[in-house]
Amino acid sequence: MPVPSNAGSHRRSRARRLALPGAAIAALTLLSSCAKDAPQDTFQPKGDNARNIDNLQRTPFYIAGGVFVIVFFVVMFCVFKFRDRGQKIPKQTHGKPALEIALTILPALILIGVGIPTVKTLFMLAKTSDTQCVINVTGQQWWWEYDYPVQAGCGGITEPIVTSGEFVFPAKMNVLLKITSRDVIHSFWIPALNGKRDAVPGRVQTLRMEADQPGIYAGQCTEFCGLSHAYMRMDAVALDAASFETWKTNQLAAYESPADGTPAKTGESTFLTQCSRCHQVNGLVNADGDPVISRPDQYVYSGAAPNLTNLMTRFDFAGASFDLITDDCRDKLWSAKPADFSALYLKGVTPECFDPVNLREWLRNAPGKKPMYADPTKLGPTDGKTRGMPNLNLTEDQIDQIISYLTERK
Amino acid sequence: MFTTGSKLFLGGTVLSLAATLIYGATEGGGPLGTLGLVSVTIVFAFLTGINFWVRDSNVSSMDTAGIESSAAAHAAPGRSMWPLIGGAGAALLPVGLIVGFAITWVALIVLMIATVEWMVQAWSEGASSDPVYNLGIRRRILHPMELPVLGAVGLGLIIFSFSRIMLHVPAAAGAIIFGCIAAGVVLFGSLIATKRTVARSLVVALCTVGGVGVVGAGVASAVAGGRHIAKHEIPSYAEGTCGAETSGESDDKSSRAIAAKSNLAATIILENGKLRADVAGVVGNPEVVTVPRSANSFIRFKNLDHGKFRLVVNLGKEVVDPKAATLTYREVKECTQAVEEGGDQFIILKPVTPSPRDPSAPDQFSFSVPGVDSAVLGIVVP
Repeated sequence: MPVPSNAGSHRRSRARRLALPGAAIAALTLLSSCAKDAPQDTFQPKGDNARNIDNLQRTPFYIAGGVFVIVFFVVMFCVFKFRDRGQKIPKQTHGKPALEIALTILPALILIGVGIPTVKTLFMLAKTSDTQCVINVTGQQWWWEYDYPVQAGCGGITEPIVTSGEFVFPAKMNVLLKITSRDVIHSFWIPALNGKRDAVPGRVQTLRMEADQPGIYAGQCTEFCGLSHAYMRMDAVALDAASFETWKTNQLAAYESPADGTPAKTGESTFLTQCSRCHQVNGLVNADGDPVISRPDQYVYSGAAPNLTNLMTRFDFAGASFDLITDDCRDKLWSAKPADFSALYLKGVTPECFDPVNLREWLRNAPGKKPMYADPTKLGPTDGKTRGMPNLNLTEDQIDQIISYLTERK
Repeated sequence: MFTTGSKLFLGGTVLSLAATLIYGATEGGGPLGTLGLVSVTIVFAFLTGINFWVRDSNVSSMDTAGIESSAAAHAAPGRSMWPLIGGAGAALLPVGLIVGFAITWVALIVLMIATVEWMVQAWSEGASSDPVYNLGIRRRILHPMELPVLGAVGLGLIIFSFSRIMLHVPAAAGAIIFGCIAAGVVLFGSLIATKRTVARSLVVALCTVGGVGVVGAGVASAVAGGRHIAKHEIPSYAEGTCGAETSGESDDKSSRAIAAKSNLAATIILENGKLRADVAGVVGNPEVVTVPRSANSFIRFKNLDHGKFRLVVNLGKEVVDPKAATLTYREVKECTQAVEEGGDQFIILKPVTPSPRDPSAPDQFSFSVPGVDSAVLGIVVP
């Protein structure tokens, strides 16, 4: 078929048209790797376990990158150099035993070269015998609960500590997370500290955790787990040893009821009637003086709701998705130097930093802030139990009272 | 004008349309029935149209090539056993509706198989004027379905027969008998493999005799019934604590989940009259075991003491009826069965309330062993 005389110029102009968007996409891809506010970065390990993974992946990554570039340019060269210009098809050949054997042996050698350090690293990451601290991690739609069992490890824990959203541990200590789930499969991942581990109902899986120095490290559930999967985040907080001891003492401190006549005291009563059936506050007693024991198993599909005993010692809530502090305070915390971090973290949510906006919106209509299966008319499949927190239809006064009460939970 | 096929489907269309109207008038137009009958009417009307359009595949008198190769030009399909089998299935259907659902399923499967087989057979026999070719295309379509199904059914029959025989003969004899049979099969197979001159008919005959023998023995064993299998009689050491033993199986209920054996939260060991815990990741033996709330924890009880003992898990008390005017409480307990020395058993715990924070409070959560007062270990539920 005869080729129109201006076909070559058409092709050139099309290539020029495509060149600009192509270059823009490549530049954007490259620039995206320069993002400063990207804490979930596996290429910046902050602990031994993550470093082992990083060391393992870097060499093959560079080799694979080199192979990709070579193959890409060779293919491009062939595509352009030998493109169809009406020439005769060259002689076709088949079979070249020497080349085929070489192309079998070479990948096998590469695989062996990658496989040996991989297996070595896998065993290293699976080690539990050097554990110095055990923390149970339980996933449920859509938040993580951390409980610290009674143990000689972690510097000694005499009473269990339960928290959520942020799990706190001593830096430079080998921590073993025992991960499971109460409802569906989730996946626990703090990229700067280790790889992922699935949280599977009925299974307890272990994950080592170690941080070189105090700091806060972001994570995200990485197994799609329903409507608010994207809002199921977690923060790992490493403190220096002394600060961790202080944190433990604070978590186990006796409950202090708000002073009579204060809005917080009214808030305590409101909390008792509206919140305590699901949310545990250790030490809270009812009018008869009996301990108030929450029963989330009767209302929530997973059977659990976050323990709010020390809510204001952590800086976010609802699956580490919403801040309790202002943006400025958040930036200060996240960018604090390791030497300053522990002291700053131990201050908790101070009155200067507290930002009630998110908490207020949450109490006003939780499913409106974070999608959840909590519509009372659609709870047939879960036997009337919600997945997440329902809209409690609180009045603005009740919201103010509860916020006043919760701000004292430190 | 109307061909045989189009007349048949036209009749079907009229009939189903009438049925739809009558159903609609008498039953008030229930959505399911109306939808079904309207769908049937549409299908019949569609088939009528198709047959009318193609005139039952009749070939134009001008199409000489078509006259030679068309189905209508060939001999009528031969005899077939499938209508008979289909009839048996249809007869079985109402029997199943009366007697039991299993027979209905068998009838439906028989009907389905007969329909498919008959359709393909009828089509293939009219596909060309060459019977060999017709048989070939039938096999090409049906063998990929027939052979695996027949193989699976045959194998299932043999396995089922084996199981009936095994359950009938004494346990010790069963092992010997099937050891001998397995050896015989290996020997027979080896002989055939090495001696290629063995007549095919001889191999087929031997396999047939063997297969029929096994199935026959299986049927006879099934009729005669299984041997008596004595259940383990485990006397309850702690009767009254968690109730009498109700099961003869040592790991009934608690060991259903494989996870129980592969994801242990703790192993509780009874030795020298004391309980100790071995918890994964925790160095040494903790004085209390922390069990997460509202999540399954798999516990293994290992008895290293002389005698049979059971582990009792005390998880406090719970309200019997939260809506009652006067609240009453009952103890929450979980128990293993009595475990012999050296034995172990699994138990799954899922406490939904926290343990008392005050160590002096009554109703502390604990592991205990009835009959061994010193064997107590605390449980903490956050």
